[in-house]
Amino acid sequence: MLYQLIINGIIIGASYALMALGLNLIWSITDIPDFSQGGIYVFAAYAGYFSITLVNLPYFLGLLAAMCVGGTMAFLFEVFLYRRWRGQGRIQLLCAIALFFLLSSLAILFWTPKSKIFPPSLQGAVEVLGFTVSYQRILVLVIAFVLFVLIYFFIQNTKIGKAIRASSQDREVAEIVGININTVNSVVFAIGGMLSSTAAMGDLPLLKSLVVVILGGFGSVAGVLVGGIGLGLVESLGSVYISAGYQHGFAFFVLIIVLLLFPRGLFGKV
Amino acid sequence: MEKTTLARGTSKTSLIRNGVIIAVILAVFIVIPQVTSEYVTYVVVLALIYAVLAGSYDILTGYTGPLTFCHGAFYGIGAYTSALLTLRAGFSFWLALPVSGITVFLFAALIGYPALRLRGHYFAVTTFFFGHFIYLVILNSVKLTSGPMGLRGIKAPESILGLNFSTLQGSYYLIFVFSIIIVVLLYLLVKSGIGRVFVSIRENEELAEAIGINTSFYKVLAFSIGAGVAGLMGSLFAHFFRLLHPTTFAWMTSEMVVIMALVGGLGTLIGPIIGAGIVTLILELMRFAPELRFIIWTVALIAVLVIEPRGLMGLIRRVKGGEK
Repeated sequence: MLYQLIINGIIIGASYALMALGLNLIWSITDIPDFSQGGIYVFAAYAGYFSITLVNLPYFLGLLAAMCVGGTMAFLFEVFLYRRWRGQGRIQLLCAIALFFLLSSLAILFWTPKSKIFPPSLQGAVEVLGFTVSYQRILVLVIAFVLFVLIYFFIQNTKIGKAIRASSQDREVAEIVGININTVNSVVFAIGGMLSSTAAMGDLPLLKSLVVVILGGFGSVAGVLVGGIGLGLVESLGSVYISAGYQHGFAFFVLIIVLLLFPRGLFGKV
Repeated sequence: MEKTTLARGTSKTSLIRNGVIIAVILAVFIVIPQVTSEYVTYVVVLALIYAVLAGSYDILTGYTGPLTFCHGAFYGIGAYTSALLTLRAGFSFWLALPVSGITVFLFAALIGYPALRLRGHYFAVTTFFFGHFIYLVILNSVKLTSGPMGLRGIKAPESILGLNFSTLQGSYYLIFVFSIIIVVLLYLLVKSGIGRVFVSIRENEELAEAIGINTSFYKVLAFSIGAGVAGLMGSLFAHFFRLLHPTTFAWMTSEMVVIMALVGGLGTLIGPIIGAGIVTLILELMRFAPELRFIIWTVALIAVLVIEPRGLMGLIRRVKGGEK
């Protein structure tokens, strides 16, 4: 039972971390807590769902379709909305929240609040050390891990990755040395949207991901991973040993405690 | 010389004009329950409550600076505190009203003191979680709040000085008079020295600190005053509608308050109050299409941000002053 809960916690945490990674990139570089990712994620999940069930695409192409939709939406929001108010953080935040509510209400209008079950790509489960883990969950974990590694190399080694890091350290100096901040922001938003789209599981994922970003600290890939899995574990264990009704309230408790102790998050660099 | 007399002349006429406008508005509000249907009266009460909520929201976010997303939570705590005090502890409404206001004030101070140490977006996002957390607490404390079943059987305010508040008209006037008093008090607050301190924090927090203002104290004060007023309005709401449900205090309410304040124009006090009126009115007019209401409103909010982030008052100022 305990081990099963821990495994569940790690897997849920991995999907929080995945979405939080996108948010963390966006937040630390463009200074926008991009609530709209919560809505983008819903649309991307539906794009994936329809391309698998209606168009009969294989699972991985469906995932790719979801990523494309999510990435494009985030990219368009950046170009047409957030870019207008650079330096006016309050308006950007309000716009992000408005977009979040707009997208979620649109999703409810289009597809009704009835939940749709994502067809699992893999059936069956495997027994490891006496507890069962479904192949689907292992797949989620693997995808999360692969994406983390890819993002890490992208940020560390590619030219645009270096530009992103440079502008997260000092936006003005980055502009002076010839980095096009618009391009960097667009790329960051597109990546963020794609990452959110892959994390299509769990409840209230956006709020959790924001908690994870704050927990882990800005600009820290490791912090996001630790924060995400830590939160997943706290929720999974807390909902059984404390109270299931407060499952989504634990995030707030953890957040307040961590912020009181570490005002910059666990691994914050900024 | 001529210019100053001219200016004085216009200010005098504008003073008279404003007086006339206020008198007309007050008169309209006084006759509303006499001449219109019950439904309209209910809508106007809702608009009044929202107006005071948006006005009190303006104290922290508009005048002092930090953006919050948890005003609905304080409203809810006030409503449930007052309802439970009268239902379970046998308090009279007239005692429960100030007690719930003070409770929320102190609670906000307790929350605000650590939370307001966070800067910028960290604080805003934390208040968002806090609002959601309070909603979860109300929803899950079934023994205390009856959770999703809703809290029923709340008593009407007891009659006082021969005035009966159990009728619709009676409680309408109660909320009307109370709203006027609170708005006047908020107006006096923002025009006072404390209000200027708030603005100085908004304009430049480091500078305010440098000239010896205890900025964290004043930020917590602004936060708690806004919250306390929301608590009082929650209490009035509870005893007017006499039925409480957790969803009334979910994040939608907090978001509505933010939208109202923004539509009207932050940092003007009158702006958010007018904004609340407009938003409530249009929400009621769109009752035929409930699923579209929120979509239209969020689109409207984004449009307001694109056209004029300072809201209605900013638009008026731009049209009047010809400033770009």
